[in-house]
Amino acid sequence: MTTTIDATLARRVNRGSGENAYKCYQCKKCSTGCPVAGFGDFHPAQVMRAVQIGAVDAAVDSRFIWLCTGCETCTTRCPQGIDIAAIMDELRMIAREEGRVRSDVPFANILKLNYDSFRRWGRLYEVELLALDKITRPSSFTDDVAMGIRMFLKGKINPLPTMGDRSQMKRMAQVAERITRDKRAIGRAMDLPAKAPAQSGPGGVA
Amino acid sequence: MSRVAYYPGCSLHGTAKELDSSFLGTAKALGVDLVEIPGWECCGNTAAHATNRLLATALPANEMAKVKDDLGLERVAVPCAACFARFMATNHDVEDDDTAHDVAQVVGRRYTGGVGVLNLVDFYHDEVGLDTLKAKVKRPYAGLKVAAYYGCLLTRPPKVTLAEDPEYPTHMDDVLETLGCEPVQWTFKTDCCGASLALCEQAVVVELVRKIVANARACGAQAIACACPLCQVNLDTRQGDIKKADPTWVDVPIVYLSQFVGRAIGVGDGELGLKKHMVPVEAVLA
Repeated sequence: MTTTIDATLARRVNRGSGENAYKCYQCKKCSTGCPVAGFGDFHPAQVMRAVQIGAVDAAVDSRFIWLCTGCETCTTRCPQGIDIAAIMDELRMIAREEGRVRSDVPFANILKLNYDSFRRWGRLYEVELLALDKITRPSSFTDDVAMGIRMFLKGKINPLPTMGDRSQMKRMAQVAERITRDKRAIGRAMDLPAKAPAQSGPGGVA
Repeated sequence: MSRVAYYPGCSLHGTAKELDSSFLGTAKALGVDLVEIPGWECCGNTAAHATNRLLATALPANEMAKVKDDLGLERVAVPCAACFARFMATNHDVEDDDTAHDVAQVVGRRYTGGVGVLNLVDFYHDEVGLDTLKAKVKRPYAGLKVAAYYGCLLTRPPKVTLAEDPEYPTHMDDVLETLGCEPVQWTFKTDCCGASLALCEQAVVVELVRKIVANARACGAQAIACACPLCQVNLDTRQGDIKKADPTWVDVPIVYLSQFVGRAIGVGDGELGLKKHMVPVEAVLA
């Protein structure tokens, strides 16, 4: 496997999450406590190493970041106090931003539909989320249908949405998205390699 | 009678209706006046903090600003463990001035902390108190063996949840003991059930649930007590899937802590919602 190295990866992760991946010294306590370490391609300590060396295809493109349940065991046990779960969140955001969410990670679709749903209704509308997931991810079509029906019959699933203060939700989401977009754009601009001056003579800019 | 704000969260109006109704029933019987936050919105759950950090911090801040400024209350009860963790994360994050500034832009008013957040265990253990609870018990459980299952977000990460003992918590055990149950010592108290992976990575969740429930049973538990809608729905619904692969599997009922409390202090069956479970719970709550 060839690896693409992006030297700015750890810095980008730090800017978004506030976490310094270079503090990791590979004790692997995160991986031994991780409930899904055995189900993915990598385990958390490997993703941390990939962030350190800038191996984007091992970090951003891993299946693991979309298996993380956010249980916070790694964050709780890290002897260096790194919020590892926040780094996994940041890698998901980078994957989305760069359009490199892989196709075999259904949780990415669930998270997007979930976000859109509470943003639209003010509260999570579970039936809509599940229906849209089945439409946009046909392999899920027959999953858990019998259970869904049983839960519906027990009155645990609302056919119609219950709504919060929708106008306030819409306003908050728009402002948060604008502030976040602006800050991330400024950060990315800082990562661009400095342009060589048009005429650099001897002793010019290194 | 103490007055506390109430944030149900999306699950308590959907898949966890019995948590909502049993919690309300017990609060009333225990003399706590709950005031639901008007026009409450989703806390943002996992999707917000995996998509937009600022919105994830701002959504609970919006709710707690209402608690503090509009309702004039100091504490909010948040029975869903996932919502609870988001509220606590906001209280932690707004200590940073830059974050508090951005959050104020989003919410439209400042919230810099100060609202106490009570999860389901805190509510009985601290707001009501074990002595008051004990005095209200009419039908104690005669030594029913129960595994207290905390899952992830009641205690982790401790810098956010301020949990005293995040790896082996005991407050839910204390509440169960007060009701006459015998809490068992077991291994998977704070292990993850798979949470919302249940919607798409079913095989992973079934395996996590199998390990948790099997250990509880091996340690002698006749039932598992939980305080999170995601834990309850995963442990309750996925035992059917486990049984398909392993016909010798013996189901363990998964009961909300509020249902255990309600049964003991005389809350009615309708409010307890005992018929809403996939694995029947009536036998252990008889």
